Amino acid sequence: MSTVQLLQVVIAFFGSIFPAVLFNIDRKKIGWAGLSGALGWSAYLLVFNVTQNAIASTFVGAVVVGCYSESLARKLKTPAFEFLIPGIFPLVPGFTAYTALRYIAENNMSQALSKGVLALAVGGSIGFGIMLSTTIFKFFTKLKNIRLYGKS
Amino acid sequence: MEAKKVAEIATSAGEILLSNGAEAYRVEETIKKICSSYGFNGECISTSTGIFISISDQEGEFVTSVKRINLRRVDLYRVELINSFSRGLAENPLPYEEAKNKLREIYNAPNFSLGIRLLAAGLTAFSYAIFFNGGILDALVSLLISFGIYLLLEYISKIGSFQFLEYYLSGFIIGAVSLAIGSFFPQINKDNVITGAIIVLLPGVALTNGIKDLLYGDYVSGFAKLGEAILIIVAMSVGIVTALSIFMKWF
Repeated sequence: MSTVQLLQVVIAFFGSIFPAVLFNIDRKKIGWAGLSGALGWSAYLLVFNVTQNAIASTFVGAVVVGCYSESLARKLKTPAFEFLIPGIFPLVPGFTAYTALRYIAENNMSQALSKGVLALAVGGSIGFGIMLSTTIFKFFTKLKNIRLYGKS
Repeated sequence: MEAKKVAEIATSAGEILLSNGAEAYRVEETIKKICSSYGFNGECISTSTGIFISISDQEGEFVTSVKRINLRRVDLYRVELINSFSRGLAENPLPYEEAKNKLREIYNAPNFSLGIRLLAAGLTAFSYAIFFNGGILDALVSLLISFGIYLLLEYISKIGSFQFLEYYLSGFIIGAVSLAIGSFFPQINKDNVITGAIIVLLPGVALTNGIKDLLYGDYVSGFAKLGEAILIIVAMSVGIVTALSIFMKWF
């Protein structure tokens, strides 16, 4: 990772803390929420440096954020979305989506379409990343309960 | 305890959960947990706009309660408090008065003051303007704009629920102000200012909770929340595009 990318990880940490304050997060968990965003963005960068593919990188980032939130939620006994929601903020394709809008305003429809589809795909991969990690965790929790208590 | 009182406690706990942005399955599970910790059999259906609860006692009498939720905001701390409240009830069922007091306490739990939230909104915009490769100057302008936007949102949401208007206006103002500032001060890049400022408006909670609701099989509230998120994003985008297409000719 280059220095710019390290700086981005630090900004991702703070960029996850500030929205969490807007959602009135428990004061003791602010740091954990920030770590969620920083981890997600680090995973994004690691994959992006190899593949140069924003969609795949965002997917991996979202899976990491999801796994981190679900496991921390089980450890601290709080709802998982306290870390999930701040964590996805750095992954959101804000700049791409805005570029698509600007092309629409400039009447440049072919560019708008290509940027818009990219923004949609990145947004969708966040959704599927969260879905995948949450379902896996849900599946294994059920499996553990069945093994331990003989019921779900 | 009588079924009626249990229904009352369960309803107000569910109301706090749903109006503060909890997922549908969490509302249903919490209400069932509260009922069973007092020894009743409770059933609950929760959509994104209301809760239906039915509690049956040992004689087969049913007590039903319906609650429509109008206020909808995001408050993760209150959801967490109710979560631990219902966990505590399962181990130690509190008497009616105590449980009521506890719920009232949670209802009035501390929130961050307007000043801190304003600062957080501004700093969110500030960080994301830099995050998307903007300079310090872009970030500062973005911070100031999102101060104004947050105050506007706070003001409109006090009058009533005008979600489309709120986000359309915010998008329009962000677009227009950034364009104007960008044309007066050529060293400021309007693209970075706008991308920083729109992050504050992002419907992150509606999006993630919608996905989670879908995963748990609550299709009604899942698609309702995703629809809400799409409405917000569309309103904001249309606002920005309106501002850009009108004012790009002038500036």
